[in-house]
Parts: sequence; C-alpha cells; structure tokens
Amino acid sequence: MLVLFETSGGFALFKVLDEGKLSNVEDLGTEFYSAESARRMGLHKFLKNNCDDGEILAVADPKLGDIITEKLDIECVHNDAVMELLRGVRSQLTELLSGLDDNDLAPVSLELSHILARYKLKITSDKVETMIILSISLLDDLDKELNTYTTSVCELYGLHFPELANIVQDNILYAKVVKLMGNRINAATLDFSEILADEVEAELKEASMVSTRTEVSDLDLMHIQELCDQVLSIAEDKTLLCDDLKNKMNKIAPNLTALVGELVGARLISHCGSLWNLSKLPWSTIQILGAEKTLYKALKTKQATPKYGLIYHAPLVRQAAPENKGKIARSLAAKSALAIRCDAFGNGQDNTMGVESRLKLEARLRNLEGGDLGACEEEEEVNDKDTKKEADDEEEPKTEECSKKRKKEAELETVEDPAKKSKQEGVTGLLLLMLLISLIYFFSVNQLLW
Amino acid sequence: MRPPVTGGRGGGGFRGGRDGGGRGFGGGRSFGGGRSGDRGRSGPRGRGRGAPRGRGGPPRGGMKGGSKVIVEPHRHAGVFIAKGKEDALVTKNLVPGEAVYNEKRISVQNEDGTKVEYRVWNPFRSKLAAAILGGVDNIWIKPGAKVLYLGAASGTTVSHVSDLVGPEGCVYAVEFSHRSGRDLVNMAKKRTNVIPIIEDARHPAKYRMLVGMVDVIFSDVAQPDQARILALNASFFLKTGGHFVISIKANCIDSTVAAEAVFQSEVKKLQQEQFKPAEQVTLEPFERDHACVVGGYRMPKKQKTPAS
Repeated sequence: MLVLFETSGGFALFKVLDEGKLSNVEDLGTEFYSAESARRMGLHKFLKNNCDDGEILAVADPKLGDIITEKLDIECVHNDAVMELLRGVRSQLTELLSGLDDNDLAPVSLELSHILARYKLKITSDKVETMIILSISLLDDLDKELNTYTTSVCELYGLHFPELANIVQDNILYAKVVKLMGNRINAATLDFSEILADEVEAELKEASMVSTRTEVSDLDLMHIQELCDQVLSIAEDKTLLCDDLKNKMNKIAPNLTALVGELVGARLISHCGSLWNLSKLPWSTIQILGAEKTLYKALKTKQATPKYGLIYHAPLVRQAAPENKGKIARSLAAKSALAIRCDAFGNGQDNTMGVESRLKLEARLRNLEGGDLGACEEEEEVNDKDTKKEADDEEEPKTEECSKKRKKEAELETVEDPAKKSKQEGVTGLLLLMLLISLIYFFSVNQLLW
Repeated sequence: MRPPVTGGRGGGGFRGGRDGGGRGFGGGRSFGGGRSGDRGRSGPRGRGRGAPRGRGGPPRGGMKGGSKVIVEPHRHAGVFIAKGKEDALVTKNLVPGEAVYNEKRISVQNEDGTKVEYRVWNPFRSKLAAAILGGVDNIWIKPGAKVLYLGAASGTTVSHVSDLVGPEGCVYAVEFSHRSGRDLVNMAKKRTNVIPIIEDARHPAKYRMLVGMVDVIFSDVAQPDQARILALNASFFLKTGGHFVISIKANCIDSTVAAEAVFQSEVKKLQQEQFKPAEQVTLEPFERDHACVVGGYRMPKKQKTPAS
C-alpha cells in the first residue's frame, strides 16, 4: 500500500511494508513515537511515477481518491486506519523526509495560506482602491494648480485687455483665446470660430478695437502664452485623469457611482481608506463623512449637528431645494450604504441596484419639490432600524402639520357670504325644531302608555 | 471621644464587558461598609461606577500616558502583569508601534536603555485572558509553541496568542466568516507567525496541507457540536500528548438546561474522544455561563516501575 501525503510544499508518497499493523487502529499511534520506530515500520519515500499497477493508494480525502481513481485507474482507500497512518506521518514528517526542516515548511505554509485567503475573500492583488485614492488626491492638486495658473493669466493679461475677462468667462477658453490672439491688436484679423461662438467672437473683436489699456511687451506676452500652455496642459491631464477615475470607479464600485457620481464616490473611499472600511460604516456616518470638524464643534457647543458632509456634492443633493437638502442627503446616505455593501460583498459587477435606488430618490425629490398634499400621507422609505426609529419620532409632528394645513385650506375655501350664512342658520334652526317636536311626541306617547 | 470610623470607598471597577461587565478588580467590600466597585455599564466600553470619569478632580485610572507602570512576568510564560494604578494583563508586542484593535499599549524602558512595548489584554474581549485571570493552572500556550486556534474571528485574541508564542512559535488561525476573515488576514500580514485559514473548522481535511502537528488546540467556536469539531481537528493535527483549551458557552449548546449540566455533558463528550480534561474554570466575572476546560490528548500511559 502507498500513502499519499500532502503538504504546503508539495506531495509525498510513502510505502507501507507491514500492512498487518493496519488492522489494529488503536495501537497504530505507538509506531510513530519516534522517527526510528517509524522507519522500522518501513515507510519509504516514493516518487509518483513509482506507483505500480495493482497498488492501493491511501488518501486523506475521499473526494481526492475518487478523482485519482477516475483519472489514473489507481485504487484508493480512505478509512480510520489511513487517518491514523497519515497522522503518524505528519508527526514525524521532517524526520521521514530527508533534507526537510520545520523552518522550510513554515514560510511555504504562510505564503500558501495568504494566497488561498486572498482568493477566498476576493481580495484583489492589484491595488485599484489605492489608485483611486491617489487619483482623487492628484485631481485636487491639479485643480489647485489650474486655479493658480488661470488666476495668473487673467491678472497678467487683464492689464493689457481687461474686457476679455467679462466676454470669455470660462478659464480654459480664456487661455485658448489668449494663446491664439497674443496682442489684442491681432483680434480683428484672427478667426475664433473653432473656440468661441459667433456672437462672442463679434463682441471680442469689437472690444479689442475700443480697449485703451496698457500695451504689453513681446517678452511679457511670451511668458503669458507659456502660462496658457501650462493651463491647457493641466486641463488636458485633468480630463484624462477624470476619465480614468470614472472607469476605475465603475469597475470597483458601480452601484455607488450610479448613486453619487464618480468624484463623490472616490472621495468617500479616499476618506475611509478603502471600500471595505467604508462598507462597515452605518448610513448616518456616511451622511456626515467629511464634516467631522463641524460635528465635534456642534457637539461641544450643543448646537445642531451637520446634515451633510462629502455627500453634499452629489448631484441629487445639489439639485434639491435648500429646505429639502437635508432630507435628500439622509435618504441618499441610506441608499449609498446599501450600494457600498453591495459593491464590497456582492459578486456581480452590475449597477442595477444603484440605478434603481437613484430612480427612487429622484421620484422622492420630485415629490418633495412638488409639495403636493399627498406628500403628507406618503410614507418615507426607511432602510435601517435607526431611520425607522427616526420616522416613528417624526410621525406625530407630521400628522399635526398636515391637519393644520388642511384646516388652513378649509378656512380659505369658506366664503364669507352673509346670505349663505343666514341660509345655513335657518336650516339648522329647522332641524332643531323638528328634533324638539319629536321629543315632545315621544314623551307624550310614553306617558299615555304608562 | 473619637467619631466612628466610616468605611473607605471600594476600589475602582474594571471597565464593563459585553454582557454588562463584571465586578471591578479591587472592587470588593471595604471594611466598615464602604461601597464596592459596581458592575460596569453594558456595552464593550462600560466603566465600573467605582471609578468614575469626571472632568474635574484628580486624574484616575491606570495605564495613562506618563504614569509609572511596572511590568512583571506572570506565572504563565509570555504573559505579563502591568502594575500601575490598576493592574492589567499584558503581552509583549511582536510588532512594536502597532495596535490591533485600538487597545492600550505600554512602553517600558529596560536597564540597558532599550524600550519594550506591551499590549493590554482585555479579559472582557478575550476568553483566554478571562481564563488566565480566572486562575487556570496551565494554558500550555508558551513561547515557541505551535497553536491551532479554531474560531479566530477578527484576530483580537489571536494577536495576543501570537505575542505569547513569539517569533519561534506559530499560530494557525481558522475562521469561516469572510467578514471577520478580512480583518484576520490584514492582521496576519503584519504578524508573520500567524497563518490565516479561511475554512470551516468542521472540515479539517480542507486545510490539511497548511497545518502541521501542533502542541495546543484552542477552540472558541461556540457551536452545539464543538466537542466533535475539536476531536476532528485533534485527530488530524494535535500531537500525541498535546493539549487542548476549549471555551464552552452553555447557551450555545442547550439554553434550557443549567450551565453546570451543560459543562458536565461536554466534558463527558471530550472524554469519549480520547481527551483527558484536567481542569475546568468558569469565566464568571467576565462572561456569563461560560467555562474553560483544559486538558491533554492521547496522554501516554504512565509505566509502572517495578519496586526494587
């Protein structure tokens, strides 16, 4: 009988010489008290190609045995005796395999365990999250640089042609115009149709004729145009980086991207360090992520805590009216928390959940913006226990508000008409009279019967 | 005539634990009827009322920055006691400067000028620490030992066991939950003597190629069939004459029966599987209805020497 033994370093094949000892499982362990006794039992290392026909192979896993039998036509066995045998081999492995030490197996086991863990937990070795964090950081730096350079261009060229700043308000277009035009005198002869609209171009040419500001030297103009080149170069880099970030975000967190957009999603991930860390946070924390300073200040001074942090820059929150921003931020944070968990733990790479959530939030926003009467009766969608509690707390004041609204509307609807009023009074009087007559009749009949 | 002597205030309570916390250390009754350290608030960061934390008044509580702390070795090798205002169980940090679960760290300067960092081991968060403080005779986990840890969770206790066995030892940490497994793997990245295994402890055959023979198995799986799980793993990996430490949660096995009866039945199950339980301690101040059983596996029979 041959024994197949598996380690993190590879496979080993041993031969059992005395198979009679396998009949008594209880006493088998005594054969492995030392390496000498194990060798006496006759366990020898064999290479896999030494497995002859008709040999029985002892394996630790019956499923593995089935596969070996199926593929190699080698009869496999797995029972208590085999388990004891393997236990014995494991206990004296370093002695039985020459040239093998515990120190040799430990690093191999460590490496293999980490590889298996990474595979099981779907921890990607390519640092996509790190790239996102670096990208968003670089994007901020580029924004700062772009602002600095465009400000410099506007200030320097403004001395020569100040009207241009009012005509062309976009910084990138401004830099393009300055680069193309150079001295304002050239404006009349140049064609700006590729950069500007026709009416803007006409306005620019007109302004260049009437402008009477300081002249600019060729050297200064050269410096200004170099600055313009820098601005355009940075703008191009920024565009490329944004596209790259968009692709990465759609790959790593498609649902979050669908809800809050690439930039806000990337900032949230960057703030927490990784998508995994972000997925552990409750929605209430996600809502105020980025507004920590304000939160602690508010808690210290016992003022109102902030309603939103980084999530404020999400398109849904930005397009909401000021009075609805808080509500939408709360709902968006709750949906985002679910989307993040879906991205972090889910197997699929589609953004259906994020898109559905976005549509629901957009519908809710329309409802809030519309401010129709049905909004009072409409229940808020609640995701977490915390929000449920919050909703329960808010229910009573809401109903009170609704009833107040209805009363006001009823008051407005009632028309102050004296004729109508007198008519109503007459009807009520008649009803009272009829009631009185019926009561008198009832009592009289009762008395007669008695 | 002297006024009657009133009792002094009880000692400051150790912070409360997960299930409402236990009685504070040094919180026994003081002579003359002073108030003892009360139970901590529920929640992991509860604090015994015996040691209030007001803003005014002198600073209280041990292990604060700058306070003088003496570290003494415990009778269990690799474990230490930090003696300050409050005594605390500590282990020597294998990765100085790194905290695993935001635990307190103590830095002590030796005579030769070198600094040694210790990590505070919270018995409310670790059943092994609770067993040590409960007075277990021997935990068998010592420097250089190879340990198979079943139910490693996020690796809070595993990190302390890693400190205990040191760089010469090895900890095979088995955890099935993927969520906890992430934290375990991240912790193992910094501690090279921890081998993380994301597998079900019910199927030791699945990780047979990763684990060698071990000296000790520590089991904290809190499952109804935990005795069977321990036996399976021991038959694969625990050396003859090796030891086991098992934490038993009575409610997980049978919540209808008294805790003592559950512990007794579990010990019987272990005895049927070639285990030889040597001692049993309750983790009472720290965990409710928990016990820790320590013993040996396939202990070699003592040979009787003939009388000369």
